[in-house]
Amino acid sequence: MVFITEQEILETVGMIRSENLDVRAVTMGISLFDCSDRDPHRAAERIHAKIVQRAGRLVKVADEIEEKYGIPIVNKRVSLTPIAQVVGGDDPAAYVEVAHALDAAAEEIGIDFVGGFSAMVQKGFTRGDAALIEAIPEAISSTQRVCSSVNVASTRAGINMDAVVRMADVIKALSRLTAANDSIGCAKLVVFCNVPEDNPFMAGALHGSGEPEVSVNVAISGPGVVRNVVEHHPEASLIELADLIKRTTFKITRVGELVAREASQMLHAQMGIIDLSLAPTPAVGDSIAEILMSMGLEQVGAPGTTAALALLNDAVKKGGTMATSSTGGLSGAFIPVSEDAAMAKAAADGALSIEKLEAMTAVCSLGLDMIVVPGDIPSNSLAGMIADVMAIGMINSKTTGARLIPAYGKKVGEWVKLGGLFGEAPVMAVSQAGNDAFLRRGGRIPAPLQSLTN
Amino acid sequence: MRTTVIVTALGLDSHGLLAQVATTIAEQDANVDDVSQTVANGMFTMIMFVSFDETETTMSSLKAALEATGERIGLQISVQHENIFKFMHRI
Repeated sequence: MVFITEQEILETVGMIRSENLDVRAVTMGISLFDCSDRDPHRAAERIHAKIVQRAGRLVKVADEIEEKYGIPIVNKRVSLTPIAQVVGGDDPAAYVEVAHALDAAAEEIGIDFVGGFSAMVQKGFTRGDAALIEAIPEAISSTQRVCSSVNVASTRAGINMDAVVRMADVIKALSRLTAANDSIGCAKLVVFCNVPEDNPFMAGALHGSGEPEVSVNVAISGPGVVRNVVEHHPEASLIELADLIKRTTFKITRVGELVAREASQMLHAQMGIIDLSLAPTPAVGDSIAEILMSMGLEQVGAPGTTAALALLNDAVKKGGTMATSSTGGLSGAFIPVSEDAAMAKAAADGALSIEKLEAMTAVCSLGLDMIVVPGDIPSNSLAGMIADVMAIGMINSKTTGARLIPAYGKKVGEWVKLGGLFGEAPVMAVSQAGNDAFLRRGGRIPAPLQSLTN
Repeated sequence: MRTTVIVTALGLDSHGLLAQVATTIAEQDANVDDVSQTVANGMFTMIMFVSFDETETTMSSLKAALEATGERIGLQISVQHENIFKFMHRI
């Protein structure tokens, strides 16, 4: 018999009612290896059928858990085996057809997003990889729910700079094709280093080759809860603050663990991982930037921001890892500019620069995430930004990603409204110094010494 | 198998709040196993442990009835399975 105190009951209710505590996503990972077919049309049909068959009850189950525990489950998603590993051939049109099949399946089962229109090219391209990457602009711009990611670097392989350059062109093309909607297509495409194979967050979710047939991965949330705790202890020393954050994220993660256990059982799937990331939304109070401000920074971007973020990120992991033995995914604080209203304001006020965000990437989760840059940014500047983020991931043996949005037709300082959870952000300035000669060299940045661990 | 849920009610105090919540639970054929209630600075806080089996009521029916009562009498009422509280604070 577990004894529950009144204080614990009221704390739980308060977290959900007043501090936006929710489960950010329940993501079902589905292996597609048995959907392979020489005929891409048939492969698309088989993939569609398998998603509908395995994830058909996902939304219903998530809704039942939400009602039972009174905890909102914001997103229901599906992640898939990287499509370039399932569908062969070198015809980009075939991959666009597959993307449409994914979109149709996602709509049919009522999920928010489906991830896995992906390729792993850190060491080089297969014919399928190259065709899928070529298909990304049309595939993403002509679908609603499909998300794409391309892993161009790893600590073991180095950085495939040819892929980096190609991805910059893909992002620019996607920006053009979705210009009417403030280039929103770019929000559904991530370029990764060390991509995790069990990440429940979009746009980068995929179901890696080492994963089981079907799994359930859960993304926790709760910046509002952490901010509240920090705000109520203005006199706490940094050691005390770290302890408070650990205690709080322990509780948040326990909720994720409960939801993951129950959802996997109800869906007859293997329980996958709990992603310990604190993920903001544009809602007031649901912000990583506001946590950092509650710690004592006037605005994000102030000197000391990277140190404060390092403390936060580490405490989140320590608290979370006590609460579950199934950590995974990205597991770190997110710093997406457009999805975090206080972060976007700091950028607009000139307190937060891209260079500072890059430094912050070294100590937290995703990287240069949801950053809006001028629509006319040269491809090589975009490629250079991606390469810098990849280098941080490669050298530090961690996941980093770039989700950059060149806002077509927009200049520095103009605002871009992406809508919903994507939020809004100002166009940020990028250094105009050239890098053409560096990128023209092509090839791969070799794997670092850190790769030789055996 | 009996399901135990925890009903929490928060709001400005007035006469008869506990009675009205308890009446709704009785109308739903569920049982109040335990209750605690305090009023501090005019704020009413109540926690009830309520149980039922499938022949008596369902989670969704109890929840809808209590939320309707809460709206009528000015209370924020939550109905949550006990496991979220057991799970959240301890391993």
